[in-house]
Amino acid sequence: MAEKSGAKYRQEIQQMMFVAGETGEPSSETTTLIEQIVHEQVIEMLKRSTALATRRGSRAITTADLFFLIRHDKAKTSRLKTFLSWKDVRKSARESDDKGGDAADAAVGDDALGGVDVAGGPSVPVSELSKRSKKKVKLPWDISSFFTEQLPEGEDEDDEEEEEANAATIVRLQAADRRTKGMTRDEYVHYSECRQASFTYKKAKRFREWAGFGIVTDSKPNDDIVDILGFLLYDIVQTLTEEALKVKQEEDLNKSRNGDSDAQSKKRKRETGLFDPPEEGTTPVTPKHVREAFRRLQEKPIPGRVRVWMGGPRALQRTELKLI
Amino acid sequence: MAMHKNHINSTPTPLPSGKRDTLHVNGYHGFPRRSVTPNGRPVPANAARLMNSIEGDLGAEENPRLSIFRDLYARSEARISSLFEENGANENGDTRNVEEQDHQLNDDPFEDAPAPATGSPRKHTRKIDEDDYDESEDEDDDEPGDDSPLKSKSTGPPVNLAPSSSAMVRGLSSSSTPASAKGASSILAVKTTEEARKRLEEDKKATEDAAKRSFHTLFYTLENDRDAMLEQKKLEESERQVDIEMGGAGAAANNVNGLGGNAQQGTLSQTNLGASSLTLKNLIWMIDTNRDKVKATDPELRALMSEVRKNRSKWASEDKVGQEELYEAAEKVLNELRGMTEHSGPFLTKVNKKEAPDYGNVVKHPMDLGTMTKKLKTLAYRSKQDFVEDLNLIWQNCLKYNANPEHFLRKKALFMRKETDKLVPLIPNISIRDRADVEAEERRLQNGDINMDGDEDSDDEPIISSRGRKAPSKKAKKGTTARKAPAGVPEGSPAAEAKPSSNHLAPNGLGSNLKFEHLIADSESVMDGSQKDLSTPTPGAITPAGINGILGHGTQSDGMDIDADSSINGIVPSIDGPNEEAENDDLEYKTWKQVTKKDRAQVTAERHRLFLGDHLNPEEPALRRTKLGMRRWLRNQKQAVSDGALGKKSAEEEAEIRENEESQPSGETLAEGMEGEEERVLPDYYDALAVIPDLSNRLQWLEDSDGNVQDPSGEFLRILPQGLFTSPESNLTRKIDKNLRQIQETRKVTSKIAIVKQMQLQSQMYQGQFQKHEPAPFVEQDIEPTVISEEGPPIAPSVSRAALQRSTAKLLVLAGFEEFQPAALDAITEMAGDYFIKIARTLNEYPQAQQVAIPAPGVQGGRIACKERFTTEEIILHTLHINGADLDALDSYVTEEVDRAGTKLAVTHDRMKAHLADSLRPALTDAGPDGANAFNDNSEQFVGGDFAEELGEDFFGFKDLGLDKEFNMASLSVPLHLLQNRMRSANQAQNPSALSSTPLSDLPPPPPLTPVTVNNVKSEIGLVQAFFLAKIRANNDEPLIEDDDLPQKQRFPKPRLPPTGKITSPRKRPLKEQGPGKGHPRKKMKVGENGEAKEMGKENAAEKESGKEGEKDKKDETQTPAKKATTNGVVSNGANSTVDSGGDVTMGTPTPTPKGKGKSGKEGGLISPESLEAT
Repeated sequence: MAEKSGAKYRQEIQQMMFVAGETGEPSSETTTLIEQIVHEQVIEMLKRSTALATRRGSRAITTADLFFLIRHDKAKTSRLKTFLSWKDVRKSARESDDKGGDAADAAVGDDALGGVDVAGGPSVPVSELSKRSKKKVKLPWDISSFFTEQLPEGEDEDDEEEEEANAATIVRLQAADRRTKGMTRDEYVHYSECRQASFTYKKAKRFREWAGFGIVTDSKPNDDIVDILGFLLYDIVQTLTEEALKVKQEEDLNKSRNGDSDAQSKKRKRETGLFDPPEEGTTPVTPKHVREAFRRLQEKPIPGRVRVWMGGPRALQRTELKLI
Repeated sequence: MAMHKNHINSTPTPLPSGKRDTLHVNGYHGFPRRSVTPNGRPVPANAARLMNSIEGDLGAEENPRLSIFRDLYARSEARISSLFEENGANENGDTRNVEEQDHQLNDDPFEDAPAPATGSPRKHTRKIDEDDYDESEDEDDDEPGDDSPLKSKSTGPPVNLAPSSSAMVRGLSSSSTPASAKGASSILAVKTTEEARKRLEEDKKATEDAAKRSFHTLFYTLENDRDAMLEQKKLEESERQVDIEMGGAGAAANNVNGLGGNAQQGTLSQTNLGASSLTLKNLIWMIDTNRDKVKATDPELRALMSEVRKNRSKWASEDKVGQEELYEAAEKVLNELRGMTEHSGPFLTKVNKKEAPDYGNVVKHPMDLGTMTKKLKTLAYRSKQDFVEDLNLIWQNCLKYNANPEHFLRKKALFMRKETDKLVPLIPNISIRDRADVEAEERRLQNGDINMDGDEDSDDEPIISSRGRKAPSKKAKKGTTARKAPAGVPEGSPAAEAKPSSNHLAPNGLGSNLKFEHLIADSESVMDGSQKDLSTPTPGAITPAGINGILGHGTQSDGMDIDADSSINGIVPSIDGPNEEAENDDLEYKTWKQVTKKDRAQVTAERHRLFLGDHLNPEEPALRRTKLGMRRWLRNQKQAVSDGALGKKSAEEEAEIRENEESQPSGETLAEGMEGEEERVLPDYYDALAVIPDLSNRLQWLEDSDGNVQDPSGEFLRILPQGLFTSPESNLTRKIDKNLRQIQETRKVTSKIAIVKQMQLQSQMYQGQFQKHEPAPFVEQDIEPTVISEEGPPIAPSVSRAALQRSTAKLLVLAGFEEFQPAALDAITEMAGDYFIKIARTLNEYPQAQQVAIPAPGVQGGRIACKERFTTEEIILHTLHINGADLDALDSYVTEEVDRAGTKLAVTHDRMKAHLADSLRPALTDAGPDGANAFNDNSEQFVGGDFAEELGEDFFGFKDLGLDKEFNMASLSVPLHLLQNRMRSANQAQNPSALSSTPLSDLPPPPPLTPVTVNNVKSEIGLVQAFFLAKIRANNDEPLIEDDDLPQKQRFPKPRLPPTGKITSPRKRPLKEQGPGKGHPRKKMKVGENGEAKEMGKENAAEKESGKEGEKDKKDETQTPAKKATTNGVVSNGANSTVDSGGDVTMGTPTPTPKGKGKSGKEGGLISPESLEAT
């Protein structure tokens, strides 16, 4: 079962990791481990949002429930919002395209997918189209929902929070930009293909099974939910990979330092020559790195969450799984 | 001295046998040969010899004595054992013995009498070994008997009687001439030591005072009390032992005395007073010499004299010059030394052979304090020197035996020696001389007349005999007093010691059964014994021989046990930790310990008595608070105040105290006198029963000058300061309040937008459909001025909770809620309260952490500076951390949720307003890019002049006309409500005064029409009379009311002329009472469809409410007044219901609601387009 489920998204995860900066080919253990983590996360998300929905009195999960889960991560919230609005754009574009003709369907679809990351595939006409119909995602805890009347959509809505959140996205994009700068065309094609890797796109059924829809949650989550989950999982994999890379980097640094001292003692042997192969640049992250990365991510306190010690020995308290 | 010890060992033997014993001894050693003349001639020689022996080396003397007394001891031991065997025969032997003695005494009363003169215990013992050499002495069978009275006197507290009785016994022999010379000499002797004594006493007093003063400044723990008690017990034990041993001899002597008393006579001087009454000597002498001239009978005289001289020492002896003074002082010193139980413990009893087998080898002349006491009581000391030498012998022995300089007992011995040196000067340097001697001297000096003696002797005879009869009654009295002492609060060991001896005053002639009982009583319970005494008035108790012996033996062995247990006589190292440590104690503490030791021991013993095992003993009598104790406590307290030890008491209080003092001195002294003060040197907390708690001032009973009671409560009431139940002003609260106001403002705008939207959709409007949303600003209402009498913060849980609920509600509003269900608010409030309690508890925890020493590099050995473990900041940070918050979280909350939200709200508000403006003048927005649409059909651009306003043009010339100023118009377009009919009517309905009252204002209103009543209906025109009458009938003969004056709801709709000009039908539907409450509850989902916390609220009550006060549209009379009763604020539902004015403080309920209903005339009512615009 583990093997089977491990095999389910191996390629996608590999691609995602590649996008996140992993240049080597990660072993199947690594991907399996990541998939397990992601699986755990998605189930946790579903469970919690179901609980939220139940508390609200409805059976169906809404986007707001998912937003609520990640509300403390401003950057992620903002990314998700962007994603949703672009999804809207894509939808309306498709509709208009449907009206106009089926020709551009595939292309637009591709582009829309690229919209997972705004700068992924910038296509001017689409963005112009979006300008008009991009709908802002409203969250119940936003200030705008304080009031009975909704403000008309306006352009002057950019608030600083958005910008702040975008900053994180921009950093990510810049990194991607740097990586793609020196790429050849083929490489870039490969890269952009990898960018489109998704847990959900065109494999909604597989995803539903995998994520345990119908088991974890009663309702049949709509496409929006699935898309959001896909997006979030993508995000998780990326975060995890980045963290794992960081871990590995540190480890390498440590090793090279120690190695240096070793080298000193063993002399000559490790003398770097002009034609030496690049040092361990290509070793992919291993499960231990991923594990360490996961541990670090779990360790960080949840922002804005107050943990009150309600008495009883601390050791016995089960810490809940943190959503990455 | 060992010989004495031996002697004591022999004394516990049954009395008659003891008696016999001594008799035998005397027999062996030639006592019988010793003759004493009536004049007591031999005495001087005896005394001289005594002096010699005293001056001579003690050690040299003791060896022969030792061997002799060892023999004696062995013999008496054998006797004891034999007595045990023939217990039953004891009684007979006893009585026989008594008879025997009786015989002797009766046979030779005259010869007998002089004996006492020589019969000091000291002499007696000495005699034992010296009799061998002293052949000239006559037979002195009675001597031991005569000694014992003294002994019994010495042991017994009924001091007064004993001397007299003994004096009676010896009456005949002693001369009647008062020993004035001797008195003088003793005075002199006393004087020499007087100063030193005084000084010492003063010193002692000073330390005592110092200790007393420290009671109020220092708190001494009770941990040493147990040791004190045990030591004291030991001391008492040894004392009792001595007493019991002595008691045997004393009783025997008494026995003799009592029986012999009949035959004896005495002079007034002898009987009454003994030798010690220096002051009275001359008087007595005068009386005696002029006896014939005095009318009074002898008994009268004696009574008189004994009245005059109450306080006679037990040591007083008629026959021994200087004895009283010497023994008084010596006893004091001895008790003092014994009393230092901390150090004297090992020296209290003699060294046990088991513990120090070789002690006898090292120390040839063992001595201990117990032995000394015995010697003292047996009057074995002839001079101060004797006494002091014995004392020093003890310490010397110890030092000798414990040669190791490190030995702890040496320390004690040295300490004791130091104390001894200090105390010895107290003892007057007196050598005891026989009165006979002294008087003989005197007589020699003043041609003493022997004949006179003889005469007086014969004269005295009757007196004495009568005296002998009388004595018992006196003693009976004594017995009662003696009994009192033990029953009362223990007076200290002397009193306690007195008890057993008082028992020795058992009746003489009674059957031995009774005596037997006595002894039991004696040994077991003091109370019983003394009661027995009451019933048996005869003085000079005789304890039954056999039992006494047994008893004595018993106690002795007890003593041995004690010896085995504790270190005695400085041989066995004592294990007492505290004692050792005591050496290191500071001076103050030491003083305290010493001064209070005895009292503490007593108190502890008393306390100890209350317990049986580990539990309270239910059999023990209850402790009762005594007036005396309370008074003492009060006095000490006052003392402390005046010493300033208790710190600051206000001047007023002191004055009060003084007043009180003055006001009730009489009762105090009286009661005190009644109860018999006995002072204890102990801090107050040892007497917990007597403590009077401080009355708080407000409970004081105050009377004004007229004697009326004043109620001081007014002075203690205080008004609760304002602001205790409102959130304190701070930056954060200001920001929050600002945000709240902003939210409210925005809500107003949104409500207007909603109305506008609605208006645009609906073709018809009805009254009350649009109510103005006019939330009042949030005001935190404080409690009403409340008066409380308690100090400290008011405890009003319900009010506090309400306040917390209000704060919680505010935060909820800040988070976007418009209203909440009470249950939800309650739940959140509970959680918040719980959290705050946790925080407060944690916060309280940290300051209690142990203090830590500040490492001070420079200071060594000095006081270590300490500081709190946590600083205030640390405490707060720790508390926050423990409770899951940190500064970052708080900071981010303030920046994110308050600051940023504030700006966002402001932006939102602006945009809302813009949106409102847009919805009010939608044309331009719809005008299309080039504005062409503005001139489409139905466009009101031109009608209203809006387009011109956009351009800033005064299209209608309002400005020229000055209308803009006159109506204070905001824009240059035609006001919307003037243009659009339905808005106009709405506006009119809303602001009737604004439109209608102005033109009429010049004219006075017409007088109100008189209502049509049954009476004045006649004055109406005939046509309508019937109509009116019918109406009045229908109205129960009540006056008719004008339609206009009817309540809104009952008014008939006024027929209105439609535009067609035709009156169609006056009333389409019949007027009927509508059911109440046909509101339009709008369901409102606050948080949208997917928030976790959403409010399905009823329509805001305030929203519904406001505007209903205004004029009603006639059509809309279906509106019922029922709604008026609804609550007035957003939060008020929950808060009002939960806040009840319970609790101990009555205060207003702070309503966490925005106050008031927004109904201020102009603003209330329907939203008019005008007011919409105004915002």
